[in-house]
Amino acid sequence: MISVTAVSKSRAHVRVLEEVSLAGAEGTVTAIVGPSGSGKSTLLRCLNGLETFESGGIDIAGHRLEPGPHAPNRLELLRRDVGMVFQQFNLFAHLSVLDNVCLAPRVVLGVPAADARGRSLELLDRVGLRSFASARPATLSGGQQQRVAIARALAMRPRVILFDEPTSALDPAMTGEVQEVIVDLARGGQTMVVVTHDHAFAKQAASWVVELDAGRVARQGPAADML
Amino acid sequence: MMNPCGTRRSLPPPAADDFIRGLLTATLCSLALMAGPAAAAELDEVRARGELVWAADQEGGGPHVFPDADDPRRLTGFEVDFAALLAEELGVKPRFQQGQWDRLPLLLGRTADCVINGIELTPERQRDYRCSRPYFAYALQLIGRRDAPPDAVEKLSAAGPGGRWRVGVLTGSAAETFLRSRHDLEVDVVGYDGTIDSLEQVSSGVLDAALMDDCIFAFYADRFGRLRAVGRPFAGGFYTVLSARDAPALSAAIDESIGRLIADGRLKALYDRWDLAGRQQMLQIRDATEVPPATRRSFGELLRDALPLLLRSAGMTVLLSCLSFPLAVAVGLAVAVGRTYGPPVLKPLLAGYVEVLRGTPLMLQLYAIFFLLPKVGLALPALLAAIIGLALNYSAYESEIYRAGLKAVPAGQFEAALSLGLSKWQSLRHVLVPQAVRIVMPPVTSDFIALFKDTSVCSAITVIELTKRYSVLALATGRIVELALVTAVLYLCMSWPLAILSRWFEHRLEQPAGPQATGEPAT
Repeated sequence: MISVTAVSKSRAHVRVLEEVSLAGAEGTVTAIVGPSGSGKSTLLRCLNGLETFESGGIDIAGHRLEPGPHAPNRLELLRRDVGMVFQQFNLFAHLSVLDNVCLAPRVVLGVPAADARGRSLELLDRVGLRSFASARPATLSGGQQQRVAIARALAMRPRVILFDEPTSALDPAMTGEVQEVIVDLARGGQTMVVVTHDHAFAKQAASWVVELDAGRVARQGPAADML
Repeated sequence: MMNPCGTRRSLPPPAADDFIRGLLTATLCSLALMAGPAAAAELDEVRARGELVWAADQEGGGPHVFPDADDPRRLTGFEVDFAALLAEELGVKPRFQQGQWDRLPLLLGRTADCVINGIELTPERQRDYRCSRPYFAYALQLIGRRDAPPDAVEKLSAAGPGGRWRVGVLTGSAAETFLRSRHDLEVDVVGYDGTIDSLEQVSSGVLDAALMDDCIFAFYADRFGRLRAVGRPFAGGFYTVLSARDAPALSAAIDESIGRLIADGRLKALYDRWDLAGRQQMLQIRDATEVPPATRRSFGELLRDALPLLLRSAGMTVLLSCLSFPLAVAVGLAVAVGRTYGPPVLKPLLAGYVEVLRGTPLMLQLYAIFFLLPKVGLALPALLAAIIGLALNYSAYESEIYRAGLKAVPAGQFEAALSLGLSKWQSLRHVLVPQAVRIVMPPVTSDFIALFKDTSVCSAITVIELTKRYSVLALATGRIVELALVTAVLYLCMSWPLAILSRWFEHRLEQPAGPQATGEPAT
């Protein structure tokens, strides 16, 4: 499902990723851990083409990413299958919670309004936020916003979901509610890649752990052995 | 541009109350400027100063007052020579004061002692100012194209091949008064700020004809080879020197001076020098009978006549604003998106568009659209030219506002949209632009109000909106203060709802777009 082969990337003449390789099977959760600045987020952003790389290759959800700039239409197709949840949630501030979830299926896939709406309400139910459907994102707590962001990613029925430090912007009380949703998804067999600082969470959610240090893979192995 | 008491764009968004307060202040300032106590310089002051300040408009002012072709810094014209003779008779030197022709009388007692600029002697002027004895006789001349109708003045009483005749006049001139009083003619009168403008427009086919003083056409005829005098001059009158009501001694001294200039032949010699048939002029002005002053009408009568005209012009102000602003916003938004997210080749072109439109005056742009485009075969009706001109000019400002708005949307919003599979344009349309629009609502509202006021510039291309109508009516009737109050009330009646409407709109945009944006009922 995911295969990263010898990916290298520099930024302003500094190597941020050096010959990174990893693999993730369908239905598994891969955690990427490591100190700040080790290249975790950059690697994750390479997986859905938000960043380019200079050498190596990425295969993800049946799509191939080559070094250098990516063709926009190919990226659009890839991103239908590879969702992303950001550290800062990035919910669309001008739309209601429900419309945040509805937008992509309607605009990208052309799902009829009523269908998109019904499915979005189901997803909001799944993350426990159905009653907030017509609220503005800004009126929600951080934990609630991140759960909406997860529902928004799920609305596209992606084969892979990427999480970029999903709980780093949350205080401990809210971390739990978000982690619970992710662990629940893992149990349901959703293929995921999670960048995190939280080793306990990584151990709970992931089956495979990759540890980066200064842009290189320091070590990787089954979660039970690594953490 | 037209408001004397404020800058055109004030950055902080004006709340409705601030706006109305500003409008009132501006109105009061204008009133004070126009109707403040005018202590006119009397004869003894003029003599003590050693200068007679005479006002005229040198723009398109031949043969009266115009810049010398050989030395544009020097003014020439028969009235320049006449003013020199007059000053000499009073024992002082002449000094020229420039002003806009239809507003020259407002300079009396402020920056000018008298007005010498083809001012026709009328009962209204007799009532409102001191008018000298005539110094020149004129008649009205109809001018058309050699190859097109009308070929006689009488033809104006029936519609032409293209419907009603479009005839250009100098705003506030005897020609305009004459045409507007002749309801039997099938004529649409188009008022211009200069005489050359209307000749240009006849020549380029925008107008069917122009009506002006015969001496003006005689002077410019050689420059407009395609134009001809239609029929003989008719409906004549006299030019008078205006001075302020409270300067009787100055006015009497001017009368005596003109008498001496006529008697000793110096005025005849002057007219002969300018090829203005001196002998005939003398015959006509020597024994001209006095024009009786008009009676002053009651406020009710004034309102009955003026209000319908003012209301119609207020409608024009609203029409101009409401048609041009949405266009400006649409073009501005497109330019902003192109500059921020468009292909690199487009960016310098769009930047150039913005800088050219922002860096040149609206007045010049309107002139270019209205007077220059017909020369390349694209003659736009004045209203359309005004709407396009306002829309283009404001689109440059709107695009900068939207560009700032787009930059103010957090980068994460774009990334989130892209990561859901939206294309760049889908992201712009559904995520970035809607948020940018909300951010820039206050400055855009403020610009709408600025445009609302800037519509007054359109009078330069013959579109008569409220400010211009007020100015024409105030000068024609001499009721400057009363009409200013009526006009201010009309502006308030328009701007108050406007301010309330924009606040409501701002408030509405602060709600989540949600179901409305996606066309679904709310949960």
